[in-house]
Amino acid sequence: MKTLMNIVTVLLAVVMWSGSLSAADKILPYPIHQKTLTNGLNVVTVQFDSPGLAAFYIDVRVGSRNEVEEGVTGFAHFFEHMMFRGTDKYPRSKYNEVLKSVGAGANANTSLDRTIYHMTGDATKLETMFDLESDRFMNLNYTEHDFKTEAGAVKGEYTKNFASPYQQSYENTMNTAFDKHTYKHTTMGFIKDIIDMPNQYKYSLEFFNRYYRPEYSTIVVVGDVTPENVNALAEKYFGMWKRGNYVSIVPVEPKQDSARYTHLQNGGIPPALSLNYKGPAFSDSQIDMPALDVMTTILFSPTSALYKKLVIEEQKVRNLGGGASDTRDPNLINIQASLVNKADMQYVKDEILKAVEEIKTNGVDEQLLAKTKSLLKYSYAMGIDNPSTIANSLCSYITLTGDPESLNRLYALYDNVTVADLKMVTAKYFVSSGLTVATISADAEGGVK
Amino acid sequence: MKTFILTIIIAATMFAQDVVELKQLNSNKVVIKLAFRNGSISDPKGKEGLTTAAANLITQGGTKEMTYSEIQDKIYPWAAGYNSQVDKEETIFTFAVHIDFLDQFYPIVKGLMLTPSFAENDFQRVMKNQQNYVDQVIRASSDEEYSKKSLEDLLFRGTNYQSMVQGKSESVKGITLDDIKKHYATMFTKHNLTIGIAGKYSDAFLKQLKADLATLPGAKPTIAAPGKAKMPNGIDVEIIAKDGAFGSAIFTGTPLTITRSSNDFAALMVANSYLGEHRKSYGQLYQKLRETRSMNYGDYSYIEWYNNGGGYMLPPPGVPRNSNYFALWIRPVQIAKQLKQQYKELADIKVGHAHFSLRMAVREVDLLIKNGMSKEDFEATRTFLRSYMKLYVANPSDQLGYLMDSKFYGRKDYIKEMDKLLSKLTLSDVNKAIKKYWRTDNMFVTIVTDRSEAEELAKSLKENTPSPMSYSNIVKAGLPKSVLDEDDIVSTFKLNVKNVTIVDSKDTFK
Repeated sequence: MKTLMNIVTVLLAVVMWSGSLSAADKILPYPIHQKTLTNGLNVVTVQFDSPGLAAFYIDVRVGSRNEVEEGVTGFAHFFEHMMFRGTDKYPRSKYNEVLKSVGAGANANTSLDRTIYHMTGDATKLETMFDLESDRFMNLNYTEHDFKTEAGAVKGEYTKNFASPYQQSYENTMNTAFDKHTYKHTTMGFIKDIIDMPNQYKYSLEFFNRYYRPEYSTIVVVGDVTPENVNALAEKYFGMWKRGNYVSIVPVEPKQDSARYTHLQNGGIPPALSLNYKGPAFSDSQIDMPALDVMTTILFSPTSALYKKLVIEEQKVRNLGGGASDTRDPNLINIQASLVNKADMQYVKDEILKAVEEIKTNGVDEQLLAKTKSLLKYSYAMGIDNPSTIANSLCSYITLTGDPESLNRLYALYDNVTVADLKMVTAKYFVSSGLTVATISADAEGGVK
Repeated sequence: MKTFILTIIIAATMFAQDVVELKQLNSNKVVIKLAFRNGSISDPKGKEGLTTAAANLITQGGTKEMTYSEIQDKIYPWAAGYNSQVDKEETIFTFAVHIDFLDQFYPIVKGLMLTPSFAENDFQRVMKNQQNYVDQVIRASSDEEYSKKSLEDLLFRGTNYQSMVQGKSESVKGITLDDIKKHYATMFTKHNLTIGIAGKYSDAFLKQLKADLATLPGAKPTIAAPGKAKMPNGIDVEIIAKDGAFGSAIFTGTPLTITRSSNDFAALMVANSYLGEHRKSYGQLYQKLRETRSMNYGDYSYIEWYNNGGGYMLPPPGVPRNSNYFALWIRPVQIAKQLKQQYKELADIKVGHAHFSLRMAVREVDLLIKNGMSKEDFEATRTFLRSYMKLYVANPSDQLGYLMDSKFYGRKDYIKEMDKLLSKLTLSDVNKAIKKYWRTDNMFVTIVTDRSEAEELAKSLKENTPSPMSYSNIVKAGLPKSVLDEDDIVSTFKLNVKNVTIVDSKDTFK
């Protein structure tokens, strides 16, 4: 209890604080070294006690959000695949051979706002990692046939994912909730566009030319390294990378004016209910997103009254969860429940809304708020026990704002969240006109009002 | 106090506690792993899923002092966490907490393990979820995982290794709260426990932990011998037909006589990495099926159980096994129905890519058995593994888990010992091991596919019908002659298929 009191005291102390963050106030207990090269490429280094091991990440701020043209949904992800198709210096077989010699865990992944390429391995092989990555980022060179062939692997990935009804429902939800913004489609893209991918070779060259540029990218190295060495290698291998000039203009989503519904008929899995409200974009200076993180943590944790009622006592719901998405543009705040019986769909929705209304009207207990802030901080602190996790976490914030210090700023903002903020964001975002309801059940219709 | 000390001494003299320690003074947390040599193979016949139910009820229930909700309320601000994992031969409880809260968290750890409440309402909730998993989730959420679990059902049929650890529809229905209480008292005992601890803990804390765990049930559990994989007669295929599948998910398995205990495992590890390292593009299977022919998302091979392969990039610890098999994982390939809709030039095909991809994967193994690895490939793969295996233990929890698994296999530190074995390995060792342990004539295969594909695929496999690769024109036009020539050979490659069965999805795991 004494420890908890100490935390509350510390939290209160931080609330009083204003101005720039001191090292002691930062959630990441290690300094973030940053150096921007003259071509605009930012280089981030964090020294971490992992003898002999380093994580090397490149975050390119291009994702399915940037797929603004008709017929090319899923392209950022497809392009991630193409990045493994080789260069003149390192054709794909040679690339594989060298990568294998590094003995690293290497891969890539794409999401709404970014594409990440990563390698974690022997820190003494860092220069080889730089060499391999700079070569493909500057000199990628694939044949049209390789391009067409790779499209099949993307279709294979879609095929694998499609086996999950939850994935199908997510695809429907995004398509229903958004009209103009590119979050309308998932990162995988629409199947019609995936089938057409082999015909988009020319567009792929344009895509590379637009986005695989220093001003869109950040290098992050974490582990048994020094900033001096990392910066010198970055200069040596990426210093000549030419800046581009493309500015991506993503359509703004018009305000939603009434609730929307989408239903998937599938009796093979438990009935599912998902409520999706239009939320804000990520910000490390506005209180809205931190307040929503706190609010949803409170509402859906196993300690909430709602969880205890629906999951523990009545046992009408198997799982209950949700949260706001950290994305560059306004996205959805998601609430999902897996039900025991489809007849309870309306009841569960009503109970969730009642719990939301309760926060709008009465807020939450001050002590619960302090405990939730503690939970958020300790969760993060316990998770950062290896170089890859730290690099990945830094990339999340680089994606959102371009600056890894956003991580420290966000966690400092958590300290500022008040009960009034929770009431404010609940009233502002949990409105029926911004809601999209997605259901899955054996019935032909969702049956939820 | 005097009595307390005396109790510890007596307890310590009655049996030797198995402890794996990993003290890390720069860590900010403590991880405790309690591994019981008791997995699903100890489930009584007709009560399959009992060990999972017991473990889940311990971690999702209360203690003598606190209800489940009270525990959750208490640990909420600490971000402390705990869970259980049941496999065939072991059940592991993992607890993780920040050092600031270790002393407050520990009574809960102790309560859950020593005096679980086994409350009726917790039991109802836990069993509903387990029932749902065996009835619906396994069949409907990932065809890949479905084909893998079905393969074990086929390969170990009639043995205590057959059932999913979650059990079967009928057996889960029959599990009672009394069954769980009895199972806990007889199977989660001080005699079959290994204690693991990592992070920044004191000697006094460990001493207390050991003393408390010495008061676990005192029964000496009888653990049945693990069931062995069956050797099929020829290639035995089970096709699982379901509605609405977008592709064919394939998994194969054939008995393998060695495990990590054997020094030959290092040799086989090199061969396996070369053939199909998990989630890596270097493997032969990946190169041939995905990279050259774009048939699917990936193709890999395994010389031991890999838990949740769709989720993990690196092999997680905590699933050690004595019964082993060699497996191929072909991720979903296209079915005829989809290909016909997508490409008019494929309007006449009857079967999708499943038959061809299976032929190609099996042929790659066959070629490796016949020709062995080259010196260059051997050296490159060995170098890769010696570095790559260090990533398995990049965080304290996994490092502790691997050390504990090492003990299961009679080793002290598997990662270090394998590195030593790898360093001494020769090409000849590897090629001998391939010939000795791998085979392609006898294997089980499971294919989860769409109902529209099942009959024609079964016919094609049974009759060993040629299965030319059906490319779209746009891909075919650019393929080099060498690839098309190889396709011709693969399309008629003889698979030793002796039996093909079609099973409706609703009839699986019975």
